[in-house]
Amino acid sequence: MTAHRLARPFAIHPPLPRRRADGASRPLLVVCGVVALLVLLPVVVTIIQASQGGFSAAGDALRASSTLGLVKNTFLVAAISVPVCAVFGVAGAWFVERTQLPARRVWGVLLVAPLTVPPFVTSYAWANLGNPFQGLYGAAGIIGFTYFPIVFLLVAVALRGLDPALEETAQSLGLGTARIFFRVILPQLRPAILGGLLLVTLDALVEFDAFVALKFKTFSSDIYAQYQLGFSASGAAALSFISIAFCVVLLFGEAWLRGNRNYTRVSQGARRATIRYPLGRATLPVLAGVGAVVAIGVGIPVVTLIKWVVTASSAGLTSASNNLHYLLPASVTSIELGVGAALLALLFAVPVAVLAVRFRGPEVTALERSVYLAFALPDLVGGVALAYFASHWVSFLYGGFFLLVFAEAILFLPFAVVALRATFGQIEPSLEESARSLGAGPVAALWRVTAPLARPGFLAAAVLVFAFTLGDLSTAQVLLPLNDYTLGTEFQANSASVAFAAASPFAGVLIVLAMVAAYILMSRFGEVRALSED
Amino acid sequence: MADLRCSRLAKSYGDRAVLTDIELDVPEGTLTAILGASGSGKTTLLRLVIGFIAPDAGVISVGGTVVADAGRVHVPPDKRSVGYVAQEGALFPHLTVAGNIAFGLPRNERRSAGRVFEMLDLVGLPHDYAPRRPNQLSGGEQRRVALGRALAPRPRLVLLDEPFSGLDAALRGETREAVVNALAGEGTTAVLVTHDQSEALSMGREVAVLRDGLLVQTAAPTVLYRSPVDLDVAHFVGDAVVLAGTLRSGAVETALGTLRTRNATADGEVRVMIRPEQFRLSPGADAEVLGQSYRGPETILYLALRGDDRTPIELRTFEQEVPARGELVGLSVDGQVTVYPV
Repeated sequence: MTAHRLARPFAIHPPLPRRRADGASRPLLVVCGVVALLVLLPVVVTIIQASQGGFSAAGDALRASSTLGLVKNTFLVAAISVPVCAVFGVAGAWFVERTQLPARRVWGVLLVAPLTVPPFVTSYAWANLGNPFQGLYGAAGIIGFTYFPIVFLLVAVALRGLDPALEETAQSLGLGTARIFFRVILPQLRPAILGGLLLVTLDALVEFDAFVALKFKTFSSDIYAQYQLGFSASGAAALSFISIAFCVVLLFGEAWLRGNRNYTRVSQGARRATIRYPLGRATLPVLAGVGAVVAIGVGIPVVTLIKWVVTASSAGLTSASNNLHYLLPASVTSIELGVGAALLALLFAVPVAVLAVRFRGPEVTALERSVYLAFALPDLVGGVALAYFASHWVSFLYGGFFLLVFAEAILFLPFAVVALRATFGQIEPSLEESARSLGAGPVAALWRVTAPLARPGFLAAAVLVFAFTLGDLSTAQVLLPLNDYTLGTEFQANSASVAFAAASPFAGVLIVLAMVAAYILMSRFGEVRALSED
Repeated sequence: MADLRCSRLAKSYGDRAVLTDIELDVPEGTLTAILGASGSGKTTLLRLVIGFIAPDAGVISVGGTVVADAGRVHVPPDKRSVGYVAQEGALFPHLTVAGNIAFGLPRNERRSAGRVFEMLDLVGLPHDYAPRRPNQLSGGEQRRVALGRALAPRPRLVLLDEPFSGLDAALRGETREAVVNALAGEGTTAVLVTHDQSEALSMGREVAVLRDGLLVQTAAPTVLYRSPVDLDVAHFVGDAVVLAGTLRSGAVETALGTLRTRNATADGEVRVMIRPEQFRLSPGADAEVLGQSYRGPETILYLALRGDDRTPIELRTFEQEVPARGELVGLSVDGQVTVYPV
């Protein structure tokens, strides 16, 4: 028995071919390369489309007098919304994770919820408030209030992972709470904040759904118009060159800002409970501030929805009740789509997250960054590119449900990667190494050690993609098979009719799902499985 | 079990050479301790042998099979059958003690408790520990389970990375004994990496001293302690008093008289290395008492040799009556001394 076991490993493996052990293994790099190519696919197709229209047409589109103004508008939205996200995200995470804020878990869920409420629902709700909310400030506000929870979630994870000894030391050196925050905590949060803001910025540059109900015109709404008016697909594709360029510049910029910071926790041993600072007399003002953010982020869409139903005309109510008939099929399609996209995104995200957390090197950075190129195109352009690709080269996918699932998975892949990284980063590499030394191969080590520990992270990543897919409109409008409808497309279709009341059942289901998603995200994002479980 | 051979092993990170020209042989069934200060490259050596990293040059073979040959062969860690006990144990927190120990067993053996109980016996833990979770164990118990987990699949070789770090003194001794017994019980070939001299000397059949990426000496503990290859190693493996002397035909003349030497070097001026425990108090006036520290069974005398250097000596004495501060004492040297060229 013993002799057999001893002989086994080497009998099967005579001297193996050259293999690099220090960097990532070749199979992992290949798998991540394939994922990167899938993400790049719409970008490449878009470039092909643009070139087919002739480069003079592309040039005309880029030179159009309105383009510069649109670029400026887009940048203004990003310039206003990104600081909003930074402040709300960091402050929210600090108050929820590190102070004795009353009912902090509830506030946590409510602070995540704006992310999971579909941006187009928020958009209609804000537009409904009146003209001042339909311009630049409305647009920037929607982006800021919709996406600050990304920063919130990442910073909350980072705050939970900090070694309390650092703060205790700072306290013993005579620093007060505020100075500890700015001099000890904030510098350590830099990677989390930058990572979150990168996602927000990239998203702001190509966002369209959030502006769907506004009069404000950005770059992507102009592209949308190009398609709608049947101008030329190649003209719109040419305009996308600008967003591709922004995306690439931002990705390099963030990599440079982040430097060589390591996300993996350095300290070993048991994590002690973190310090929660008493708020004292600041309790009421802080509650008021957090409450105001929640009121704007979640309150506006929810209250508007209720108002639509309450103040609806009888005609509106009739069409609403008629629509109940479509509610179940729309919900089923939406959930199928969301679950499918979430699972596919997880499949793509796992190798990339493993690579990003466990290895360093130029090829690792390049592959990890390339996933963010999902943000290089406005959703609509990406959707059109995939439809074009399918119709020309893989016709059996064209017009099918899977193409949409694939598009959503690719589109929201960066969020899945970020969520998985947050959890994988908490798992000591020595655990995987021990598994390897015990005879488990890289896949077995992932399956038997990392995955069971990272379960909450998998759930959080899946829920994030699920929620975003539910909240997506542009891609679904392009790629949804004929005769299929989702909660989003039905909401959109009805929002134009008699009154918004007709759209409210769909929005209602979307918001309920959003709240469930927010609850799961708040409790699972970036977490490792609790040891006391089962 | 199998022997480990490393030859001409080298590894660098960027421009920094971490290991240079390492030659290490660990005979079958023995334990070799690798002793080095932090940053000396000992963990890198360990990771090369397990296969987490690949050498830039050199060959590693286990039981006569080449597992790493720079640029030609790299057997991945899971195919090497080399057990590994990580610092702090690295037990899988989602598995029970039994689950951890059975992790490396073939699938059909994982369910049966036989090997798990065998391993618990081996590392000196009761069978009712099997269903416990790692977070219910003390630090010492975690290390024992980690060793049981590494030994369960009957690896050809086991590597231990600072297995007792972070344990308090009492637990350290007890755990060390359990580990030595377990390794002996399985007849395991083992490599232990440590920065603790007494750990290395007491556990290793051989001790290899790693300094700045070079293995400067590999020898049995007594040889290493008494005849270190140079004065740096002498200071590293224990306290040492170094005197000036003149070597003449096998004996060395020092301020403390003529001493017998263990080794030979060219006649003339030499440095003489004496371990503090070789000193005996004797009548005379060789050194001045600077102070003392009472430790219960023994007393430590802080002495300074008379003369220009005023070489300090810490002398451990078990006498009840010790000389007071400022008194002069005589010193004699027991046994042989080691000499080094100046």
